[in-house]
Formats: sequence, structure tokens, C-alpha cells
Amino acid sequence: MTSKWLDAYHDPVASLYTFTQCLTLADIQADGDWKLIIADLGTGSYDMKLKVYKNTNLMSEHAIIDLPTGVVNFYMDTLEPRTPAIAVASGPYIYIYKNLRPYFKFTLPPLSINQIEQELWEQAKHDNINVFVLRDALEGLRSDGQLLTVRSLKFLQLESTDLEAFANLHKHAPLKRQTVITCLDTLKKSLADEDAISCLVVGTENKSIYILDPEAFTVLTTVDLPSIPVFISVNGLYDVEYRLVVSCRNGCIYTLKRGSKEGSKYCIELNSQPVGMERINKTIYVGCMDETLQCYSSKGKKLWTIKLPTSITTMKTLDYSPRQLKTLLVALSNNEIHMYKDKYLVDVIKTEGVVTGLQFGRFGREDGTLVMTTRGGGLFVKILKRSAKFEEKDALAGPPISQNQKINIPKKTKLFVDQTLRERQNAVAMHRTFQRDLYLLRLNTARQYVKALDNSMNPISSDPTEPLKLSAQIQGIGPTFKLTVNLQNTSLSQPTSNLIITFNYDDKLYSFRNKFIEAPMLVPGLNYAFETFIDCLNEKGVSDNVKVYVLKSGRSVPIITGVISMPVSEAVAVA
Amino acid sequence: MAHVTNNNDENVTDGNKSGQTQETEIPSIPQVTTALKPKAKKAPELPVNERRNWLIHLHYVQKDFETCKVLIKEQLTESGGMCEYAVYVQALIHRQEGKIQESLELFQTCTLLNPNSGENLKQVARSLFLLARHKAAIDVYNEASNINPKDWEISHNLGVCYMYLRDKAKAKECFKQAIDIRRHDVSYVMLGKLYLMEGDLNSAVDICKNAVEFYPESPDLLTTLGLLYMQIGQYQKAFENLGNALTFNPQHTKAIMAAGSMMQGHCDWDVALTKYRIAAVNTPENPSLWNNIGMCFFGKKKYVAAISCLKRANYLAPFDWKILYNLGLVHLSMQQFASAFHFLSAAINFKPKMAQLFMLLAVALTNLEDVDNAKQAYEQAISLDNKDPSIPMNYAVLLYNNGERRAASKYLSIFTQNIKSVPNVDQELLDMASKLGPLLQVGDNLVWKDQGKEKHSSASIANKPDPVTNKPDPVAAPFTRPTTSSAVEAEIPPTPDILTEQTLPSDLLMGASSDTANTKLSRTQTDMSEFPQVSDTHLSKPTTLDPLPKIESGKPSQLPILEQSSSNVPVSTELKMSPLSDL
Repeated sequence: MTSKWLDAYHDPVASLYTFTQCLTLADIQADGDWKLIIADLGTGSYDMKLKVYKNTNLMSEHAIIDLPTGVVNFYMDTLEPRTPAIAVASGPYIYIYKNLRPYFKFTLPPLSINQIEQELWEQAKHDNINVFVLRDALEGLRSDGQLLTVRSLKFLQLESTDLEAFANLHKHAPLKRQTVITCLDTLKKSLADEDAISCLVVGTENKSIYILDPEAFTVLTTVDLPSIPVFISVNGLYDVEYRLVVSCRNGCIYTLKRGSKEGSKYCIELNSQPVGMERINKTIYVGCMDETLQCYSSKGKKLWTIKLPTSITTMKTLDYSPRQLKTLLVALSNNEIHMYKDKYLVDVIKTEGVVTGLQFGRFGREDGTLVMTTRGGGLFVKILKRSAKFEEKDALAGPPISQNQKINIPKKTKLFVDQTLRERQNAVAMHRTFQRDLYLLRLNTARQYVKALDNSMNPISSDPTEPLKLSAQIQGIGPTFKLTVNLQNTSLSQPTSNLIITFNYDDKLYSFRNKFIEAPMLVPGLNYAFETFIDCLNEKGVSDNVKVYVLKSGRSVPIITGVISMPVSEAVAVA
Repeated sequence: MAHVTNNNDENVTDGNKSGQTQETEIPSIPQVTTALKPKAKKAPELPVNERRNWLIHLHYVQKDFETCKVLIKEQLTESGGMCEYAVYVQALIHRQEGKIQESLELFQTCTLLNPNSGENLKQVARSLFLLARHKAAIDVYNEASNINPKDWEISHNLGVCYMYLRDKAKAKECFKQAIDIRRHDVSYVMLGKLYLMEGDLNSAVDICKNAVEFYPESPDLLTTLGLLYMQIGQYQKAFENLGNALTFNPQHTKAIMAAGSMMQGHCDWDVALTKYRIAAVNTPENPSLWNNIGMCFFGKKKYVAAISCLKRANYLAPFDWKILYNLGLVHLSMQQFASAFHFLSAAINFKPKMAQLFMLLAVALTNLEDVDNAKQAYEQAISLDNKDPSIPMNYAVLLYNNGERRAASKYLSIFTQNIKSVPNVDQELLDMASKLGPLLQVGDNLVWKDQGKEKHSSASIANKPDPVTNKPDPVAAPFTRPTTSSAVEAEIPPTPDILTEQTLPSDLLMGASSDTANTKLSRTQTDMSEFPQVSDTHLSKPTTLDPLPKIESGKPSQLPILEQSSSNVPVSTELKMSPLSDL
């Protein structure tokens, strides 16, 4: 299959740290040459920049003070030429740029402050209460579950010596509680035209959605949600009718209409956290952490679910108006982008890294451009071929391909057939031989077992009065070996004494340096190690078994016996 | 340079302190702020604790846990550990990494930071649940439900906890509550499972039906419903649902297996095999699949292929008695009686209470000329199942061939009694009975109580030309006594007697039992455990040693292994090797 995409730009080391939300394409100079605007998170703590690419060349860079949350472009006035403004959300602020110049900074309205907290700081300001009283009172508020300002929270964490200085430094400034923007989108105000004026839609950390007027920068509408918004999808007109679909951190998707103040009426509860949410026409597509792509109607009814081969990193709608093509791009962590038209996979794009930022639209003078940024910081641009056709392969029609594959049945050899024939002819004899041999084997085993019991040949004592465990180890490669005998008293409480360790060996083959070891009293549970050196006398590479006996003094039958199979002496083997 | 308008007072103050840091970076914005002289002493801006939450969340959902952990660490350092969400995500990551205890501790920290959050309590409970501390989890869930009273997740998870604590009534209540709040398919599935555990199949079917109404396109639910219908014997409906499941997902292995085994039930071997092809690609290491494929080939009389597939299945699941049973059956029909004996007795070791296994074993033993043990096996089979007509029938044939006519006619009468209670008796069995009846000089409708007639008939046989002589001795016929190995014959006593058996060391392993029949049979069982399979060397085993693919998630009802192979097939094949040909 030939690719439906042309490679336009390829920079695997663009060192961009950005996401889908922080990418946008806009004709910011009103010259028909669309630019790519990227809010770069820099290192994640500093060096944040707003970058503008003109035809893959970096055109300008602007520093941003805090982490950018989202970037959108929108028309905020009706002036000619029609130049859109860029809004960059960052912390509690929205920075507006026009003509690539900083234009305005909007601050989210501060949140209400707990009355008691406010009063406490007021008192502190006039030195009516000391810092310790202040701390105790604030601590009380906090443990009641009241939401406090950052100042109070910081104050509560301080060592008591630092309280005074902190309070003095901060008490004169007005107390305020701020929130953080979590997502940003635009909503056309009263006209649906391409260049109509748009409102900004802002989701915040305090579970609210604000809709801002683009001209006066006042809050037009506030909606409270049950959870913190993560992704917003907007359509409609503010003055007529609009619909916000908001996915939240509690794994729910809420649908808000014009006039609704509470978001909980239409709610889709997902089984997993959404990684991306897009709306195409009347359906909502949600990519989830459990590697599924789910589709819901706007009423919240689940239409279908697709299991994806791996986890999703981001999603974006592909809206290619010249061809009336609306599909969904899903970036996966296996370096692929899957394109879905409804529930059908219509294309797979291989990428050179895990794509975390996706944007499709007009770039330069080309309508169908796909901009991708990767986790490793690369920037890639692809152009949709004009000849490309995306056919809906109906996956349900016809049997799956695998049905035509042959089952891999293990082959049988002629030997197998011969053996089968042999068994057919001699089944009774085979059966009887087997049974007899089995009994002989068992009988033999039992005899050996009894013999071992009788002779105390086993390494674990069968005598209940002397519960001992023996293990032995040979170290070295020869001709001198080290034998370590480990002896353990396995009884719970009874110590054992008067034990002797001795060996039985072929004295032509081996010579023990210590043939007789007197064991001390064995305390239950402890492991005792006894060592001796053995010299191999034979040079012909012969080895033999050596037996270890543990004896009770005064008795000739050993309590336990260990048989050690000696290794071939290495030096001899070489020689 | 653009003109900057300051629309509200806030911006002025904001601009001030940001200006201090901005001066070097953005030359333009400070221009605004420099106009407003900063006051003498300005408190530094305190960063909001939550300022990076969105970024942490984004990395978390993208499963970029490494970056996420770094961010969390930074955030927690900055906020002095006060950022609830950072702790929360760290706990989630720990859970994903399997460190449940650590995650529990962090979630507990979250509840300390924000005691009013039901979400935190839910997560604490979830961790407790994962640590199998169900009682503690229930307590915390109850606490959480005080904060969020109508929460589906709480009700559902409470139900699961109760289920593990075997409090089925409460679990049911919780699941029903969960379904009332929100119709999630998982709750339906769990409730269905619960009914299944109680053996209430009809309620389970109802629940599944409800679920399918709400999720009509879910292949999982459709398959579950199909399997349930199979269990209650409504094969038509079962097939419909399985077919629907396959329409929505033609690759759904579980549905394929279930539908395939139903096709096998109707002797549609080729259709079933075509379906199994799909499953073979998806789950090439599923033992049930290979078992079913093997039995398809058996049905098509391709015995070598059948044995190959069954041996692969046995290799994949060595402890599955059904596969061993089928292997035994196929070997019996291949007249490989020694191998059949080993497979069957291995199956008996795993499933000691199954009469049909003993019956097949008896057939194998009969053919191995071990009549004593065969009789014991038949008796064991009858003691386990006195309803199955094929067991007394086969036993009667054995006894008759052995010249024990009186006992034979006794079992024949048991057979005639049994067929009255069994609806669909195999025609072959009836034919056999009608042949055996006259030979024993008893009518087809003989009743055992009729002692006099029996005696009379046995007496009269002596006068008549003995019918037995007319036909070759059925057992001996295929094997001309093992004369070929006469040397062996001299040494081997035909499988040792029970008495000697008890002195043998095998009893050390098995534990001696007083009942003679048991002892004898237990011997045959122990034999097998160490038996190396004769033809194993020729078995081309699959080379991959990967762990088995996940099979049906532990639901005992859903193993779509061939059940019918144990009911229909054995009976007919079995009779072929008993005296059918001879009579």
C-alpha cells in the first residue's frame, strides 16, 4: 500500500516539549501563509517559549513565564486586515498576542476566600494576634477541610522560627486565592463565519468553566462542574446555542448546553481515564487509558468500542474540507497514528517516535497538513496527497482473513504409524511387560528405601531421639578438595551431644587430613559447619563416592549417612 | 509596539510582580508594568500548589510514568507535600506498578490532606480490596458512600467485596443498587456470576438478557448469554446469541469456541473446523481449541490428525482430564489399547468420580485380556453411575464372552431397566441388547426377579448347540494369545493379584484401602502417574514454551470444551470394540 502522505518536514531533534493542546495553525499575518504556533514547555520548569514556524523555519520566539497549558487562535475584533490573535493559557493567566506581539494579559477572577481566614490575616496585619495564634487558627480551619489560600498553606508548613518573617513579608499584600487553567478552547460568538469573533472557553482547576468575552475580557458565563476539566470540545454559537463537551479528571464526560449552570445532567461515566476526546458531528470519540477507543452519541449512549493494539497518547480530528473528509487521528505509543472513519480503520501512519502532539489543518499554503511532535522532541510535518482516497473497509462483511489460513496440525512421521501398528499387534504383551517392570521398579524402590532406613543411609535422621539433618559440599577443583559437612539439629528444643563425624573412603584414592571430627553440642535450629581437606591420590582421573557418617559415641550404627560423589580431580585431568 | 490596555485593576497588581521576573525575558510586557512603579517592598508571588496538576494528569493518562514521577517529585518539593493531586497520581502509578501497599499509604495521605473527598476514600478502599482486606475495604466504602451517596462505583465495588466474603445476599443487593444508579455492563456480568455461583441459572440468564438489551453490540455479553443458554439446554437461543456475538466481532475466540463445540454437537465437522481456524490464529496455545480441533478430525475419521491435535492439547494442558479422556477414546478406536489404558487411567487420576472413564478403562482392559481388572472397573463404574445404560450393557457382553451367563443376564436386565428412564437410547445399544438377549435365552423384556426362567434358560443352553462356539471368542480374536513373546509369558503373571498388590510398595504411595475393588483400581491409577507416554517421542510438540494464553476467565461454566464427546461418541465407539462384530 502506497502512503497517502508526503513527507514535508522532518526534524527529530527540534527539542520541543509540547502537546496537542499547545499546537495551533493560524494565518496570524493575514497574508494567506498559515503559521504553526507551538507553545513549548521548555525543560518543564524553565525556558518555556512560544514558537512560531513559517514554512518550517522558526520565525519568532517569545518567552513565557509559566508552563503553557494551551494555545488557541481566535479573532477578537472586526478590524481589517483580519489577523487572528493568539491566546496562551498559563497558570491563572491568559496572554494574548497580536501580530506576534504581547497584547494583553487576562487574569482569572480570584476565588472566594474563607471569611475567617481573611479576618485572621487582617488581624495579623495589624499585629493584633501573634503568629502562633494565627497558625493554630489556620490549622483548625485546614483540618475542617476548608480550602485555604496558598499563603496560609505555606505558612502552616513553616518552622516556628520562620513564621514571623513570613508573616511580616506577606501580611500587607492582599490575600487572594487563585486557580490554574487546565484547558482552553474557543467558541464563536454570534456568527459561524471562518473569521467571526470568538469567545474563549477556559476550564480551571477549581472545577469551573468560564466563557470570556473577547472584546471586553469579562466573564460572560461561569459553569461549575463536579470535577476538574481536562479536555473541552466546543461547538455552536455563544449567542444562539452551543454545547460544551468536557471530560474531567473523575473519568466522566459532561455535556453542557447554553443556559445550564450545572454540568451533571448529561454524563458519560467511563471505565478508564480519557486520554483524548474529540467530537465529530454528533458523536463523541473518547480514547481511554485502557487502550480502547469508544464512541458515544451526544446523548451519552455508547455506540461502539474498539480495542486498540496499544495505549493512546493523543487524539485529533482531521477535518479536510476540500474532500469533505472528517476522520479521527489517534496517536499510539507503538509509533503509529491510526486514522478512523467512524469505526473503521482507514489508514495507519508510521512515525519516528511516540507522537504526543497532533494538529491537522492549513499550514503555509497547503490545506491538508499534519503536524506531529513526538515525546523525544521531534517535529514532523506530512502533507495529505490530493490523490489519497480513504475507503471505508467494512470489516464486518466477509470472514476475517485468518479463516482462510490453514490450521497448523503437527505432522506425524512414518515411525509413528509403524509404532501404532506394532502396538495394535502387541498391545497385551506391551501392557504386561510394562506392568511387570513397573512393579519391579516399585519393589526395588521399596527395598532400597527399607535398606536405607535400616542402615541409616539417609541424610535425615529417622531416629526420633536424634533429629539431625546432614548436608555436605565439596569445593575446589583438585587435587585438594575442601569438604564442608553441615549438621543441623532439627528438634525444637532438645540439644544433641556426643556426636562424631567420620568418613568411609577408598584409601588408595583419597587421603583425608582430618578423618575424625568431634562435633560439639548441637543447639536446635543452628547450622554447624565442619571442614576437612581431602587430597586425591590417583592421577588417572578416577573418582569415587565418599561416605560421611554421623555417629553417636558408643554406637556402631551411624545415625545418618551422607554419600558424596567426588568430582574428578582437575589437575589430574589436565595432566 | 502594541498598545496595552489594562481593563481592570487586578492586572495592574499582577503585572507588577510578574514584571520583576519578566524583565530579562519578555521585553514587551515589562513596558507596561514599568509605568507603574513597584511599591517599596513587595511580597513574592507564591506559586499555586496545583499549578502543575494538569501536566501531571496529562503525562499520567499518556502512561508516561517516568516523566510523571519526576513532575510529581518537583511539585511535592515545591508545595512541601501539600499537593493532593500529585500524591494521588503517585499512588495511582504505584498501583499500576503493582506496589499496592505503597499506593494505599499514599491514598491515606490524600485523605488526610483532603478529608472531604469521596474519591480519595474510594481509592483507599480500592487498595484495601486489592490487598484482599475486604472487610476493611467495605468499611471505607461505606464511609465514602456517606460523602457520595449515589455512586455506582461504590455500590459495585461493595458488591464485589461482599462476593469475596461470600455474603451473596448483600452482594446481590449492592449490584442491583449499582445497576439502578447506572447500567454498567460490569455490574450485570458480576450479578450474573453471582447467580451462577448460586446455581440459579434462570436468574443469571435474565440478568444477561437485560444487559444485552442495554449493550446490544457487546460480544462479551452476547457470548456469556450464549454460554448460559447452553448450560440450561436452550441450544437454539444459545446459537443465536453466539452468532450475534460473532457478527459484531468475528474474531471473538470465546464465542468461536462455544459455537464450534455446538457445531460439533451436530456433527458439522467442516464448519466447526473453519471457525476454529480463526481461533487458531488468535490463540494458538489454547488447549481447549486443540482438543476441539482434534475431536473434529476424529469425527471426520482422520485419526492421525486427531491424535496429533489432542496430544498438542495435552501438552498445553497436561492436567485436563477431558483431553486425556478424548485421547483415550481415540486410541481405543485405533485399537491402541495399551496407550488408551494409560490415557484413561491418567484421566481417572484427575477425575476419579466419573463412571464413563471407568467404563472406557474396562473396555481397554478387556482388550488387554485383563478380565479381572476389567470387571472391577465395570463394577466401579456402575457404583458411580447406575443410570447410564451403556455400562451394564458392556459389562453384560464381557461377562457373556467370559462364559458367565448368569451374571451377564443380570446386567442385561439392569440395562433394560435403565433404558426406561433414559430418553434417547443409542440404537446400537438396543441392537446389541436384542442380539445378546436371545443368546442368553432371555427375552428382551426380561425382569431380573424372574429367577426360575433364568435358571431354566441356562440349563437349556447346554442342550442346544452352544452359540458361543459359532463365533470366535471376541476378546481373544484380535490377538492370538501373546505367544510371540512366550518367554515373557512365562515370567509375567497376568497383572499381579490384589493380595500381592497390597504388599507392594505402591501402597506406600497410595495409602492402602480395605475395599478390594478400590485397591485394584487405585493400582491402575498409580501406574499411570509415572508412565512415559509410549508414542510421545513421535509427537512433534509445539516449540514455543510461552505460558498458556489466558483461557476463559476462571468461569467454570464457560469452558467450551467438548462435553458431548463424553456422552455420545464414546458409547458408539466403545461398542464397536466390544463384541459388536462378533455377535
